[in-house]
Amino acid sequence: MTTHAERTLLSNIRSAATTMCCVFVIASAGFAQGDAAFILPADVQSVITSRCVDCHGTDTAEADVRLDILGTLNLDARLELLNKVQDQLFFRTMPPADETQPTTEERTRVAKWVRDELRRHNASNLDKKLRYPDFGNYVDHEMLFSGEIKDKPFTPARRWLVSPQIFHERVSDVFGLTDRARQQTFYGVTNPFVLPDHSGVRDYDIATLDGGHLLVMLNNAQWISQKQVFGAVHSGKDRRKLEFSNAQDRWYPPTASPAFVAIVAKGFAPTEQELIDAIQAQFDCVLKRKASDAELTRYLTLLRSTIELGGNTEGLRQMLVSVLLESEFLYRQEFGDGEPDKYGRSKLASTEAAQAIAYALGDRGPDEKLQRAAAEGRLNKKEDFEREVRRLLADNAWFNGPVDPTLSGKNMQSHVATHPKLVRFFREFFGYTGALKVFKDEKRSDGYYQNPSRGTAGTPGFLVKEADRVVDRYLQSDKDVFRNLLTTDEFFVYHDKDNETGRKIIAEWTEAYEKLKDTDWKANPEKVIEENLEFIKSNPSVRILGGNQKREFLRYMYFWGETIGKGRTPFTTVSFAHGYTYNHSPFYNLPPTPHIFRYGAVEQKNFKGLDDVEFWDYPVDQPFRIANRKGLLSHPAWLIAHSGNFQTDPIRRGRWIREKLLAGRVPDVPITVDAQVPDDPHRTFRERVEMVTGKSECWKCHQHMNPLGLPFESFDDFGHFRIEESLEHPDNVIKTNQGNVADIYKTKPVAVTGHLDGTGDASLDGQVSDAFDLIDRLSRSTRVRQSIIRHAFRFFMGRNEMLSDSKTLIDADKAYVTNGGSFKAVVVSLLTSDSFMYRKVVREVN
Amino acid sequence: MNNRREFLTQSIAGAAALGLSSRCLFGEVTKDKPPTRFIFIHKGNGILPQSVVPPTFTREQREVEQRKDPFVADLDEHDLLEWMNPIAEHKKDLTILQGLSGKMCTTGHHTWCSSLGVFKANERLSSIKWATVDFELAKLFPSPFGHIEFACFPSGGGNSRGNINGIEKGFSARGPQQPNYAFGSPKVAMQELFKSVSAEQTAQTQYELERRMLEFVATGELNLAGHLQGSERVKVANYADALQEIRARNGRVEAMGDVLRKHLPQLDAKYFAENLSTVDRQKGLTEVLLSTLISGMTNVVTFTVDELGTLYSGLPGIEGENVNQHDVGHGKSVGRFEAIEVREKILHQHMMLVDTIVTRLKSVPERDGTMFDNTMLFYFPDNGETHHSNGSEWPFLVLAGSNSSLDISRRYIRLPAYGKEGHKTLGNWYTTILNAYGNPINHYGSPDVGLKIDQTGPIQSFIG
Repeated sequence: MTTHAERTLLSNIRSAATTMCCVFVIASAGFAQGDAAFILPADVQSVITSRCVDCHGTDTAEADVRLDILGTLNLDARLELLNKVQDQLFFRTMPPADETQPTTEERTRVAKWVRDELRRHNASNLDKKLRYPDFGNYVDHEMLFSGEIKDKPFTPARRWLVSPQIFHERVSDVFGLTDRARQQTFYGVTNPFVLPDHSGVRDYDIATLDGGHLLVMLNNAQWISQKQVFGAVHSGKDRRKLEFSNAQDRWYPPTASPAFVAIVAKGFAPTEQELIDAIQAQFDCVLKRKASDAELTRYLTLLRSTIELGGNTEGLRQMLVSVLLESEFLYRQEFGDGEPDKYGRSKLASTEAAQAIAYALGDRGPDEKLQRAAAEGRLNKKEDFEREVRRLLADNAWFNGPVDPTLSGKNMQSHVATHPKLVRFFREFFGYTGALKVFKDEKRSDGYYQNPSRGTAGTPGFLVKEADRVVDRYLQSDKDVFRNLLTTDEFFVYHDKDNETGRKIIAEWTEAYEKLKDTDWKANPEKVIEENLEFIKSNPSVRILGGNQKREFLRYMYFWGETIGKGRTPFTTVSFAHGYTYNHSPFYNLPPTPHIFRYGAVEQKNFKGLDDVEFWDYPVDQPFRIANRKGLLSHPAWLIAHSGNFQTDPIRRGRWIREKLLAGRVPDVPITVDAQVPDDPHRTFRERVEMVTGKSECWKCHQHMNPLGLPFESFDDFGHFRIEESLEHPDNVIKTNQGNVADIYKTKPVAVTGHLDGTGDASLDGQVSDAFDLIDRLSRSTRVRQSIIRHAFRFFMGRNEMLSDSKTLIDADKAYVTNGGSFKAVVVSLLTSDSFMYRKVVREVN
Repeated sequence: MNNRREFLTQSIAGAAALGLSSRCLFGEVTKDKPPTRFIFIHKGNGILPQSVVPPTFTREQREVEQRKDPFVADLDEHDLLEWMNPIAEHKKDLTILQGLSGKMCTTGHHTWCSSLGVFKANERLSSIKWATVDFELAKLFPSPFGHIEFACFPSGGGNSRGNINGIEKGFSARGPQQPNYAFGSPKVAMQELFKSVSAEQTAQTQYELERRMLEFVATGELNLAGHLQGSERVKVANYADALQEIRARNGRVEAMGDVLRKHLPQLDAKYFAENLSTVDRQKGLTEVLLSTLISGMTNVVTFTVDELGTLYSGLPGIEGENVNQHDVGHGKSVGRFEAIEVREKILHQHMMLVDTIVTRLKSVPERDGTMFDNTMLFYFPDNGETHHSNGSEWPFLVLAGSNSSLDISRRYIRLPAYGKEGHKTLGNWYTTILNAYGNPINHYGSPDVGLKIDQTGPIQSFIG
């Protein structure tokens, strides 16, 4: 369906100024069509002749490129060549750095002509590329924040594929489920969407539906429609007396649409009005709007035909399926409505605005107040947007839920936040969830690391959750959010209970241990239990009264003995609890905690006692300070996410800083490069990386990454802080261990110096002594702050920024600074900006 | 140096190449030559490596076997174990393949797509890294319907959770993050696959209803796409094209009406009941599977004969028992039978199905031989060597016709043990099959990060 808004705008398009990096070509009556005669302007030709033809002319033709024959090429060949030229100019890879460079004016002149020539033929590949996340930083940072750009911000009218989370909520909405009736999972529904894995904002408006989505949706639509019909057929009946074809799938919606009930209850053909009511009801359930007249006509034809052929119930179900399969169900629609302003922009229609606000802040559709504001015409002005955004940010209930339900498994539940989507921005930005995708050789971690597996997210799952908690902590305090996330030395580890509950447990355990430690508990545990039964019963934190009391009692006593008995506080969940998997403290360089099997044999006759291990003195009050950590870039989740299977990845860590914090760019690895770090038993990984990337042809790119990533050699690929690197090479084995104990190798000190450039601040750029020095400088950088704002823009807008978004970004940055580093102020600023509120129909390059 | 570090890079490149190479080769089957058919049959609860060793091995052979040293034995010189009796007639077509590992897969109780995809699959779509090997083969040998999957789904927990009589997420994957769907009962398989030629009025009506619905949705999306431009058009057009492709697939099957009618599964009414024993479910699905192959509807089928959570009923000798395979895995006896005996009964039942398939295909003439000449059947566990497996071994039985591109028949083959030079993984095995049939991929599957030897490429000695 082309919406009214789209049609209106299409017919009212006026010419509009394009900005250099705008990725769209604005439709204009003045555009030339077809293959017009080729003319190379003299002022462009002069630059090409003087700057390019020496290497790309008759005699040389380096890389098989000749620019002296542009006019003789046929159209396809010419456009292909111009696309190459455009890339080289845009990415500033030509002329080579060691050649004389054109002046800025010359470069701009040639680039503009090439761009115009390509766009004249709708053939600019660069325009397409610039829509992708990897190219976000190609919009000039200084220009964006210069204040010189006066273009009016807008977002192109668009469809935006729903995220996995929004899809799930939409299914609940189809069934009209509210409050606790909303389901965590639906038996017959498979979520067809998966976001990309890479660091950075992942939910862009460029994704498209495909055949894979359709196959999943065909099954989903069948199941959903069957449940809708089942609910209608059995409306008002006692659900306990119903029979189900699948005993494991007994759920059905608690309420049924009266329009569906009317049709399935009838023994003869429904009236036209009943058919219309049913169609409108399904449109309302699924698409949250009324069917247009044209749609009604089409659907009426279908429904009459299917009812005539299959009867009321089955005929109705086919119509229900058809609406569920409308692509509109799977896209967010943002086209704008009403007369465009003089810049060709229309404000979001009020229903679109309500959805845009709701989906920006969470995954659920608009709440009742937002719907009412839209229906009553109170969602038009900037003040209206601000009122609703502030209200929803202050509402701690509507969006409250798990940050990432897919982390939850049999042994761990995701962190719950009031605004999970805000946490999700930072987890995507930092990319620490990537830890879940890096498989490790568990033996190398002495068996402490558990890879994700069926039903568990393993060690990275715990680490990601703990990073989520750090993020949420600073979102809640909402002060200096960016700096705190980059520099905090306070973390959460384990901490499965709040501080007060933890303190209570430790107090009760300590009391119990002190009372019982001097009894004859080892030799005669039954007697000790019997003599202290009342005391034990009165202590709710000691659970030994079910099942095998003796075994449980002994386990507690041994557990307390080697923790409380040695002056240390134990973790507040006993390690012998069913399904216990807390083993990851060593990845923070903290001592280990007892393994689930440690106390397995304490009641057996041949039990010889426990070997002496120094367990972690658990800090009940969290967050707590951890030495040698500074912010999320030193969090094991981030470090693992940006590591390889066997070693660190200083190049990727450096690239992350360059692109995410410094708004910089690193060209993709040329396809001719087969980058391999050489083996050398005598060198550290840094030394081996430097051997291969130090060559001049490699250094062109690696200079932007290595100096930023190498300071993080302070941490190994599991996230351990280190000063010595284990040289894991067969020639260096000192001791081979059996089982899940790591082999021991020779070591060598790690070098952790680096160099920071690109902040635009001379007081920050320069040599850095280590990762902590680097992090500290980054946290004080204006450029870093603005870069995070740029990524927040992408997250909430679902696209890359254009130069025309300059005002939006400057305003958001100002809001952050003037509100003491409030991220919520950034959100309010972005969601009340013209970039968020206005849409413009644009003609894209095909 | 070829080691696991190098392998990581290579396997990633290989995975990327897979899609390309498959597309390039698509449709290269010549019209003069019958296509090769592939049948993947997998089971839950593991296959114990010692349970496939011929009982007539000499003492020396048994010692080598126990040491897991590599060797090859001629099956002509040996008897098969009793549970393999149903396929004894096909010994000349049989290979017993031992020593593959699959530690790069999810192992243990439930493994979902792991054994077919050679990656860790954990029930989340995001864990599906690429198309499973059966789908890759289906691309090499296109057919009107494409790949078809059947499954005796678990009802006692496990993969995949759903209606055991329905069409649910199966154990194969069409591509990255794209699960396939499997038919859970003979009834639903018949209804869906042969609906275009059904003689029943209700089925005909349902087919026509769905046809109209798909046409309606496709028309709507095509119209919408026609009004759009650029990326907005693509966002809708891809979806509309996919709808059209499904309609086209239905059309291709519909056009085979006469052939399909000729090869309709001949099944008693009991196989179409909602409640049928596991054994009857397997028999019924086997008949449907055979019809889809013999009619030419498909060239590649995958059949989950059971998963660990599939409760067994109807097993010969213990028909009245509901066998819980998890209990069997933990050594619990059933009635008067020890767990190992119950395992053998289940294996024997599977061999009955295999015999049915092979015998039937041998009865269908094709060119100068039979359809089986152009068929490969793989029987293997979905999780490796035992109930609580770790993927150190992954026994396979292979039955292949005379036109097979692999040179392995009539042999017991034990490959070098895990970690030893020359050791091979599931990835090597599938690479071998893909290479032999026209997909030149460097390596299929995830690497085993714990394996310190070169683990890329095919098992060269298997390629005839």
